[in-house]
Formats: sequence, structure tokens, C-alpha cells
Amino acid sequence: MPTSLLLVEDDPRLREDLQRHFLNRSFRVNACASGTQALNAVQHDRFDLVLLDIMLPGLDGLSLLDELRCQQAVPVMLMSALGAEQDRISGFTRGADDYLPKPFSLAELDARVDALLRRVAFDRGVVRQGESTQVMLDQGCQDVVHHGKAAGLTASEFRLLATLSAHPGEALSKAFLYQTVLHRAYTRLDRGLDVHVCNLRRKLADIGAQHVQIQAVRGQGYILVDTEHA
Amino acid sequence: MRRHPLLWKLAALQVSFCLLLTWLIWTWGLSVERSTYFLSQADQAYLGRYAQQAEEAWQQGGAAGAEALRRQLQHAEDTWAAVIGPHLQSLGTTPLNAEEASHLTFMRKLDWPMSRRLQDELPFVSIEFPQHPEHGRLVLQLPERLLPTGLTPWTHIITHGVAPTLLALLLGLVLYRQLVAPLNRLRDRADALRADDLDNPGLPLQDRRDELGELAQAFEHMAGRLRHSLEQQRLLLRTLSHELRTPLARLRIAHDSDLPPAQLRERLGHEVNDMQKLLEDTLDLAWMDTEQPQLATEPVLMLSVWEALCQDACFESGWALARLPCSLGTDCRVQVHLDSLAQALENLMRNAIRHSPAEGRVSLDGWREGDCWHLRLSDQGPGVPQAELERIFQPYQRLPNSGAGFGLGLAIARRAVELQGGRLWASNGHPGLCLHLLLPAAQECLES
Repeated sequence: MPTSLLLVEDDPRLREDLQRHFLNRSFRVNACASGTQALNAVQHDRFDLVLLDIMLPGLDGLSLLDELRCQQAVPVMLMSALGAEQDRISGFTRGADDYLPKPFSLAELDARVDALLRRVAFDRGVVRQGESTQVMLDQGCQDVVHHGKAAGLTASEFRLLATLSAHPGEALSKAFLYQTVLHRAYTRLDRGLDVHVCNLRRKLADIGAQHVQIQAVRGQGYILVDTEHA
Repeated sequence: MRRHPLLWKLAALQVSFCLLLTWLIWTWGLSVERSTYFLSQADQAYLGRYAQQAEEAWQQGGAAGAEALRRQLQHAEDTWAAVIGPHLQSLGTTPLNAEEASHLTFMRKLDWPMSRRLQDELPFVSIEFPQHPEHGRLVLQLPERLLPTGLTPWTHIITHGVAPTLLALLLGLVLYRQLVAPLNRLRDRADALRADDLDNPGLPLQDRRDELGELAQAFEHMAGRLRHSLEQQRLLLRTLSHELRTPLARLRIAHDSDLPPAQLRERLGHEVNDMQKLLEDTLDLAWMDTEQPQLATEPVLMLSVWEALCQDACFESGWALARLPCSLGTDCRVQVHLDSLAQALENLMRNAIRHSPAEGRVSLDGWREGDCWHLRLSDQGPGVPQAELERIFQPYQRLPNSGAGFGLGLAIARRAVELQGGRLWASNGHPGLCLHLLLPAAQECLES
């Protein structure tokens, strides 16, 4: 069953290009030019994802989002040329799942969309837990133990390690990791995840678990590699 | 606690005005009033002649002479009179009765003030014999026509109306000079601003050490900001139009020439990235400049930030990690807004890498200074002329041979650091440039 996408964008050229792009990725796309149209579409159909422009004629994106949230919990990604921090924040508090400032590249859009869909699936427990590495994750204490030594992880660091070790050998995108580990959308200047990774690396090295390596994959994200048990 | 110098100034003015007014009415007004209660010189001489006549009459005619003069006098002046000896006995033939004797208990001399104020009675005047004062005196009730008129309404108006009015006018003038004249100067300045005359010299009013001085300072500050932002706006417009025209021109040429599709895509991608970066940096700077956002701070381990940035820098520049050493330990924790600090440090690092010689190193070290951490990023590049060390932090300022970039990196870094209570400055490290960061240290016990 193809993923169904509701695309709300008033610029006709951008709408057509995006529609063509998602059709090529074999999504089922419903493209709307106004908020009213979109509201209509939502009431008649179910969608897996809504891609929503903020500046729309008539009913604007944020009001549409409010309406939408009253009815269903479909993941919503906002797109906007408004770059100010205030708009990002108000977008999230109103229940958007991600925010993509214009201009963006198609690669970035794909990464964000995939991360969002994946996180939704992850939240529903669809993704199978991968086999764990040799470090012992202590779910009770929210900590990692190696040779009897506990690393003293913070909650975010533990979630990061748990998420990475649930997908060993697989590069997880930053967008996905921000969604699942830090529960926030990834923005251009956000360094939170990188710093958590560096802290986690140091704590793993401190307990002698150097073989568990978190490697950065350029343009993709982070991957957990176990050099001893590979 | 706010000082209120103008309040005290005005209070002092008012108080001195009130005191001056009271003093004027008390002393001057009263003395003017008193002066009107005296007999004129002519009247004094006129009455003195009666005393002389009485003395002559008594010496020549004895008691009968005195009595005759007394009657004549009483008749002429239509008043009561008596010629009195040294023992307050009548020198005439009729002795004084009790009521007449009581007139002698309070007598005035000629040069004393005269008024009806005492029991609404005409005063009794005692005039000693001019030749032999020890022999006696003439006493008479002052004739009505000789009584001084006292204060006339006109004198009253002058002492209690005109003079205070003049004083009040003077006070008004001083108040006007103190309050309104400076405001007028301020208005003239505002008019000058309205007419786009931004380069006027500063107001001399600023030197006043009171509220108006503060107002002038605030005004000058505002004018300065206005001037600054106008300059910024012109610079922004000039730079943006230049910087955007260049990639647009290149796009235009690429579009018009028959490039193979792959090459065209690459060129397109490159130019679009450049324009996007310029736009984002410009908006970032404008956002920090105009919004002055309050950034939420958290304790951050500097070493981890550096490692995270090195990861990207190595990808981008192809440098080996060993060329980016950091001597900070895990004790270096600063209280900052992570993303802004990382952005600032990344800009500094990129700048340093860009200016490094082949196989050069960019290193970070630092030490504790009181409540702050003093971090130093050193490169081995050519450095910056001493005179230009401040200018490199101004937006869109590019030194000769500074290579790529729009001249926004260091400006953004400085704004970002200052927004979280830190400082950023540059010095020359012989060789290379040193960038100094002063950041508030984090509380020790907190866990990030």
C-alpha cells in the first residue's frame, strides 16, 4: 500500500514539482492549493503525512493545522519561507512534527519525510528490535554497563545509544535521531545531537568499551559499529 | 534607586522663590507700610511750633498763659490739649481730671508712628518744650487732619501685587530656561533628524547631569542606532545586490551557454548553495541584531562541542583530525546557548582553516579566569594587520586576500557570543591570528 501524502502549497510550480517528485517515489499524492481545499480533503480521506505551507491564501497553514489537530493525529511537516525563530517555535507548539524552512533541497525533504514516517512507525512498534551488541543496556537504570562498570549516561544519551543499538550497522539520519532521541525537529544550526554523540563516545571510552563506536556518516547521520563483534 | 536631580533643582528654585517672596513681604513691605505711619517733617515742625508757643506762654503768662494757650489750641485744632509739667501735673489753671490723666499713660513722641490702631482713638502726642524740655511739655490729641493716611491702595498693589508678580515672572523665566529651552534644542535636533541630517554634532545638553541630560543621551543613543542601522541597511543593500548579482550573472551565462547537462547541474547547485548561504547568514545576523533574542543557556562541555565541530570541519576541508588539537579537559564547562556557541565557534574555525598554510594547525586552548573561561583559538595563518583587528568583526568587511566568504562569519560569531553574555576579540599571535572567547563558566554540579 503506497504512502498517502497531502501536499498543501499555493505556488503552482513548486506544487507541481513536489507532486511529480513524490509520485516518482510512488507516493499517493493529493495536492491542494488552499487551506480550505486541504481541510476538505482531510475530511474525506486518510493520509499518512501532511506537507503544509504556512503562507496560504484564505485559511493559512497554522490555522489549518489547528483544525487538523482537532480531528486526527496525522504527522504534519510545515514548510515556510518565514525563517524567523518565532515561527518555528509557534509551529511546534501548535502540533507540527517537523519544520522545513524554504529553500530546501529535494534530498533534505526526502530525508525529513523518511525520518518522520520512520519515527511514526517506530512509535507504533512496527520496527523489529535488532540484536543488541555486547554492551549491556540496563533498561531499568537507563545506563550502560561494561565489565561491571556503569557509564553514568543521561537520559538523552541512553536513548541515543538504545536507538542506535536497535539498528546496528545501519546509518540513522540526523532528522530521525532528533525525532526519536531528542523529541524535536532538526534545524540547520542545531548541534545538540552532535554534542550528545561526543559525550556518549567519551563515556563509552571511560568504561573501556572503545569497541562500540558511533561513527558519523557524511550526509546520512550516525551509525553504531561494534568493531569486536562485527 | 533613581536619582532625580531635576526634581531637586526645581524644588530648590521653588523654595528659594517662596523664601524670597516671604522675605520681601515681611521686611520690605512692612517697612514701606511703617514708613507711611510717620508724621511728615512739615507736620512735625507745625506741631513743634505749638510746643514753642506753649513754652513761651507759660514762661510769660504762667498758669493763666498756659491755660489761655490751651483753650486757644483746643479751639483752633478742634482737639484736646494740655500743658503738662515735669511731674505730669497741669501747668494750666484747671487740674487734670482722671480721664485726662489717663491720656498721659501712653503718649507718643513726634517721630513715632501714628495710627488709630490703639482702641480706635486718635493718638496723644507729647511735645517737649523746645527751650527747656525739663520744664514741661505740650500734650495734644493728634488732630484728625494730621493723622498719616497709612498704606494707600496703590502702595499696597505695588508691595503685595506688582513686586511678587515680577518675582514670579522671573521664576517663570528661570524655569523656562531650565526646562523648555533644552526641550526646544531637542526638538530642533529631532527636526534635523527628520530632514535626514544624521551627522549633526552631538547635543551639548548631554553633559547636563539630570533627567534632561539623560533624555538627551537617550536621544543621541537613538539617533546613533538610527544612523547605524541606516548605514547597515545601505551596506546590506549594496552588498546583497553585489553578492547576489554575481552568482545570478554566472547562472545567466551558464544558462545561455550550451553546457552539458551534468555540468550545468553542478554549476546550478553551486550557485544556489552560495546564494542560500548568503541569505541565511544575512538573516541570522539581522535577526540577532534587531531581535536581540534572549537565548536559553545550559551547561556545555566545550570539548564535546569542539569534537563535534572537528568532525564536520574534517569532512569539509579534508584535514586530518590531528591538525585540530584541543588542550581543554572535561572540566571546561561553560554556561551558553549550545547552538549559537557552536555556530560562532564553527565560523571561527572555518575562518582559521581557510587562512591556514598547508599542513597548518588550528588549536583550541583555554584557562579559567574567575567566573569565566577564556578560550583561545589560534591558527598559523598570516594574521591580520594590527589596525584591522576590530574591523574584521564588522559585517560584510572583507580584508584583501581573505578569499571566499561574504565577510559575515566573524560578525555572526561576535553577535552570537555577545548575546549569551560573552566576549569575542582578536589578537595577533606571531604567527597567526588568535581569537579570544570569554564565556561564563557553568555551575560545577550540574549535569548536561
